[in-house]
Amino acid sequence: MSEGVSSSPRGTRPGFSINTHNLIGGLIVTVLAALLLAWAFYVPNAVIPRFMSAALVLVGVAATIGLLPVHAPRDFYGGIALVMLPTLALIASAELPGQRGFAFGPGTAPRLFSFVLAALGAAVAIGGVFAEGPPIEKYKIRGPALVIIGILAFANMIRPVGLVPATFLTFMISILGSTEMRWIESLLMAAAMTAFCVFLFVYLLNLPFQLWPRF
Amino acid sequence: MSDLLANLWMGFQVAGNPFNILFCLLGVLVGTLVGVLPGVGSVATIAMLLPITFGLPPVGALIMLAGIYYGAQYGGSTTSVLVNIPGEATSVITCLDGHQMARQGRAGPALSIAAIGSFFAGCVATVLVAALGAPLTGLALLFGPAEYFSLMVLGLIFAVVLAKGSVLKAVAMVLTGLLLSMIGSDLETGAGRMTFDIPELADGIGFANIAMGVFGFAEIIRNLELPAESREILKTKISGLMPSRQDLIDSSGAIARGTLIGSMVGILPGGGAVIASFAAYTFEKKLSKHPERFGRGAIEGVAAPESANNAAAQTSFIPLLTLGIPPNAVMALMVGAMTIHGIVPGPQVMTKQPELFWGMIASMWLGNLMLVVINLPLVGIWVSLLRVPYRLLFPSIIVFCCIGIYSINNSPFDVTIAATFGIIGYWLVKHDFEPAPLLLGFVLGPLMEENLRRAMLIARGDVTVFFTRPISAVLLSTAIILLIIAGLPKIRRRRDEVFVE
Repeated sequence: MSEGVSSSPRGTRPGFSINTHNLIGGLIVTVLAALLLAWAFYVPNAVIPRFMSAALVLVGVAATIGLLPVHAPRDFYGGIALVMLPTLALIASAELPGQRGFAFGPGTAPRLFSFVLAALGAAVAIGGVFAEGPPIEKYKIRGPALVIIGILAFANMIRPVGLVPATFLTFMISILGSTEMRWIESLLMAAAMTAFCVFLFVYLLNLPFQLWPRF
Repeated sequence: MSDLLANLWMGFQVAGNPFNILFCLLGVLVGTLVGVLPGVGSVATIAMLLPITFGLPPVGALIMLAGIYYGAQYGGSTTSVLVNIPGEATSVITCLDGHQMARQGRAGPALSIAAIGSFFAGCVATVLVAALGAPLTGLALLFGPAEYFSLMVLGLIFAVVLAKGSVLKAVAMVLTGLLLSMIGSDLETGAGRMTFDIPELADGIGFANIAMGVFGFAEIIRNLELPAESREILKTKISGLMPSRQDLIDSSGAIARGTLIGSMVGILPGGGAVIASFAAYTFEKKLSKHPERFGRGAIEGVAAPESANNAAAQTSFIPLLTLGIPPNAVMALMVGAMTIHGIVPGPQVMTKQPELFWGMIASMWLGNLMLVVINLPLVGIWVSLLRVPYRLLFPSIIVFCCIGIYSINNSPFDVTIAATFGIIGYWLVKHDFEPAPLLLGFVLGPLMEENLRRAMLIARGDVTVFFTRPISAVLLSTAIILLIIAGLPKIRRRRDEVFVE
């Protein structure tokens, strides 16, 4: 995955240089764009986003089968995402009233900025097709996943089980994301940090926290 | 002039209040701490501590937050000199000569000259903020909605041009921020916009959640990818803190020039301390008769960037306090902090809340004094803190952030939002997008939309109003010229060089 697109030299059979990277990236783009397209047909009044997401599907398919040579994948996929975001915004604000006379409606500014962002995103993506650039760095799974799971665990635990267990468990989950984790020092540190947070937020700052689970 | 003195006197009375002195001390201590610790930035810290300032009086809260920012500039240099790892982005360049000096057994003079330079820069910048405050505020009163809109465009363009990386991508980030800021209820009609029928989104996304996500969480995830760093702390004892007479003579010019460059860069919207330190170092090297000494422990190479980053950190308050426009990500957070306390940043701060305005300025000077006094004796403590391994540090930061975000609105949903933006921030880094313009766009979004709507309404839908009103025309054409210049191939290469160096 990390060998990227730069391994396919420019000019040699540009039409059919399938490599794994474009396959995965292109497929992701295609699937996401197809979802946008489906949604755009479900929402009334979303004619322009329908065209935009249809174009995105085509670009995704072209990248997948190698019709579209991507020379700077960071820029290309970054730009595509910045076209998808305003497409989503346009679908979401399709039913908002627009300009009436001189006065902006609630939908005017979101649409205005969406179009500008889509144009810029397209420009970034087009740059990614023509200019050479480094491949996308490999995404790590373990560290990010455990950190995010830890944070989400906190969000879901704080109400039902209270501050003390939530803090302790969040600390333990996220520390598993580090490859150098050691159990004893981690448990000690988690306990110390929990005590510190309870002291700071509850006793010193008087914030209304529930400390333990309520039965 | 007498007005200025009278105002400053009032400011010192406010800042001299024992509670405010305490907040100031707390701020600079926390700031130094995060400055010392690599991987903990001042943006994330200020976002983290926002909820803590709720219960404080507004003046105390802002004094403390400001202290964190310029305190971090001090602390960053300590790590750079002793460990050769920049504690803050602003001290990257200090590593070059500072660590070399430390290897030659001159860590003491390096640290003290950094402190002295920073203190001098802080004093000059404080006076500058005080002196420029009134005239700029007067200028701001001439501004109508069209001018405000153009000014914000100019500010954002400045931020984009001076940031590192592709200009196009940075502009795209600004617009992403603007678009995200429109989630929630419409300012005028109250209609829910892009809320996807999620009730928690009706109030929009909190800027603290975004800041914590893209700066705090994403940074941590990113650091976990890097191989375990070997923090090789200097074993040699720091002997003799004071610089020799020759050191002082050598560095006095560099300090003065660094202060000047830093003050100017800081005022520019989008400037800020990072660019100031780079510019000052490059300038000093160009000017020197012996450029080959740089990188081998030249004391000017420590004095100039350290003075510059501190000066810039302070003068970047000028656009915020006078025009209400945050020139960088930290100032964007300050806008949030002010809004939380019911203060609308802008020219009216100075007239309506003079004690806040002048108190903050005076506290900057006091804070700088405290930093010089506390920083040098405490070097030993900061160094021992560096021995806390990152594997224990990062989960602590995470739980602290989680509790902080939750306590802002007592809302678990906010924590989820921040986690989402953590993932987004990680993705942005992988695709070479800078998160700072996004945050700036997000903070300025509602203001820009409001002024755009008003301007259009007043001009009866005539778009040319932005070019027919003189001030607005000047501002917008400056923005366009800047964009064109930054796009020129020659300038672009120079820009890349500056940031690579």
